[in-house]
Amino acid sequence: MKRSEALIEIDNIHKSFGDFEVLKGISLSVNEGEAVCIIGPSGSGKSTVLRCINGLLPIDEGFIRVGNHRVHELRSEKEMRPLRHQVSMVFQQYNLFPHKTALENIMMAPIQVLGHERAEVEDRARKLLEKVRLGNKADSYPGMLSGGQQQRVAIARALAMQPEVILFDEVTAALDPETVKEVLLTIRELVDDGLTCILVTHEMKFAREVADRVCFTDRGLIVENAPPADLFDNPQDPRTREFLGQVL
Amino acid sequence: MNMTFELSYEGKKRLVIGGVLAAIAAWIAVDAMAGGAEHWARVFVRLPLLLTGQGDGWPITGGFALNILLSIASMAVATVLGTLLGISTLAQSPYLRLPAFFIMNFLRNSPWLVLLFAMLFILPFQVEVFGLRIPFPPFVKAVIGLALPTAANLSEVVRGAVQSIHSGQWEAARALGYTTPQIYRHVILPQALRRMIPGWMNLYALLTIATALATVTGIQDVLTILNTSLAMESERVLVYFYLTTLFLFFAYCYPIAIFARRLERAVKGDNI
Ligand SMILES: Nc1ncnc2c1ncn2[C@@H]1O[C@H](COP(=O)(O)OP(=O)(O)OP(=O)(O)O)[C@@H](O)[C@H]1O
Ligand SMILES: [Mg+2]
Repeated sequence: MKRSEALIEIDNIHKSFGDFEVLKGISLSVNEGEAVCIIGPSGSGKSTVLRCINGLLPIDEGFIRVGNHRVHELRSEKEMRPLRHQVSMVFQQYNLFPHKTALENIMMAPIQVLGHERAEVEDRARKLLEKVRLGNKADSYPGMLSGGQQQRVAIARALAMQPEVILFDEVTAALDPETVKEVLLTIRELVDDGLTCILVTHEMKFAREVADRVCFTDRGLIVENAPPADLFDNPQDPRTREFLGQVL
Repeated sequence: MNMTFELSYEGKKRLVIGGVLAAIAAWIAVDAMAGGAEHWARVFVRLPLLLTGQGDGWPITGGFALNILLSIASMAVATVLGTLLGISTLAQSPYLRLPAFFIMNFLRNSPWLVLLFAMLFILPFQVEVFGLRIPFPPFVKAVIGLALPTAANLSEVVRGAVQSIHSGQWEAARALGYTTPQIYRHVILPQALRRMIPGWMNLYALLTIATALATVTGIQDVLTILNTSLAMESERVLVYFYLTTLFLFFAYCYPIAIFARRLERAVKGDNI
């Protein structure tokens, strides 16, 4: 892997909450068009890594570059703006804006943050709703949608920013098994389209199928980083073996 | 045979309220027969003065109508100030947060009457801005004097409502590139507003009651009129005037308080 060409480059980042060191030197690089899955036990710092990548959390030490943004050097929300344009995020709890319809949820940020033309954004938003198979739910409020439908609206909202990277943080963890499938299908299509994705997930089967690479994190470190076939079938580290033994 | 009356809470409440109303009606009837009717007639004749500040009821220059106007103007000012103050107490920067906290606590713990007197003496008779003379008549001083403590109390309502919005909303908005003022404007305040309405209405009812204090600024509100224009009525009749005034405030504020409580229950029901 040629490091200099990577779209995302994370080098030895440290992050503590109070006395508790959550990230103890994480390094990772992601190439354009790659889908990287992060797996690992609860509390190992998976969400924290994602939040650091798009600057939601400041890091204590280390280097993060996304495209030509040096994330660790950005200080204000205003400086973060171009970065947030490039990196979208989808959350476990969907976090749709409950006072806006599905369509408005998708249209808000491109208009209010990026300053795009309303008509053009609406056109884009409707196409995205079609893409996530919710063309008929444009005028529904989030409270009227199922979890899986809300999550797909959230994915469309992230896509509407026309990002180069999307971060998915356990986006199916709050869903019931029936709706997990439809959300995973949507994500798989994005990966197939060549969008760069970093996915934190508990869906091992899904990770094996879509990921180009899988990272196993434990207690603030990336213990193992390998193509899915290697990591799942031939794990090198005993901690990886133990974890996979529990979940598979 | 064992007969018991099982009354629900609502039933008991209705019974008590009915009893109180009946007692009041009975008292009024008995009193009216004992000569009170004449006094009530006197009140009735002067009612337009009490309500509008004019014996004929028109044009409106004061009276209870002025109290209402004062309450609305103060509430408008307090809403703007209180929202800004409430948001400031939540600011990241201590340079904004600490002064806001100090102002809020200072105003919340000052007697309203003292604040009104203070405004009377602190605010100048008029100010000149670029040669433009802006007068500060007593009414404006009363508006400001009442708006300040109301704003401080409202800021707590705003603060509570904003804090009750799930942190995921902040995170999602920040991830979409919104700045803090934009997040308040487009995401947080529209949601917090519904949760603020009951507290806002309660405060408005309180403020309306407190407008009676504004008599110290010398405006022709209902209390000033009672104390000046009606001062020559006999002492006995004045009691009836005061009862009427109390009833006016009650009739205006109680429905608001009831409505606020209803809304409170309705808002509690939906946890968006
Ligand atoms: N804002 C915070 N303040 C204090 N501690 C935090 C904060 N956010 C996360 N932590 C702690 O950091 C650790 C790692 O959290 P993180 O959310 O990254 O874990 P995770 O790997 O995503 O776990 P999960 O699979 O449960 O989501 C946890 O022990 C958590 O309690
Ligand atoms: Mg997590």
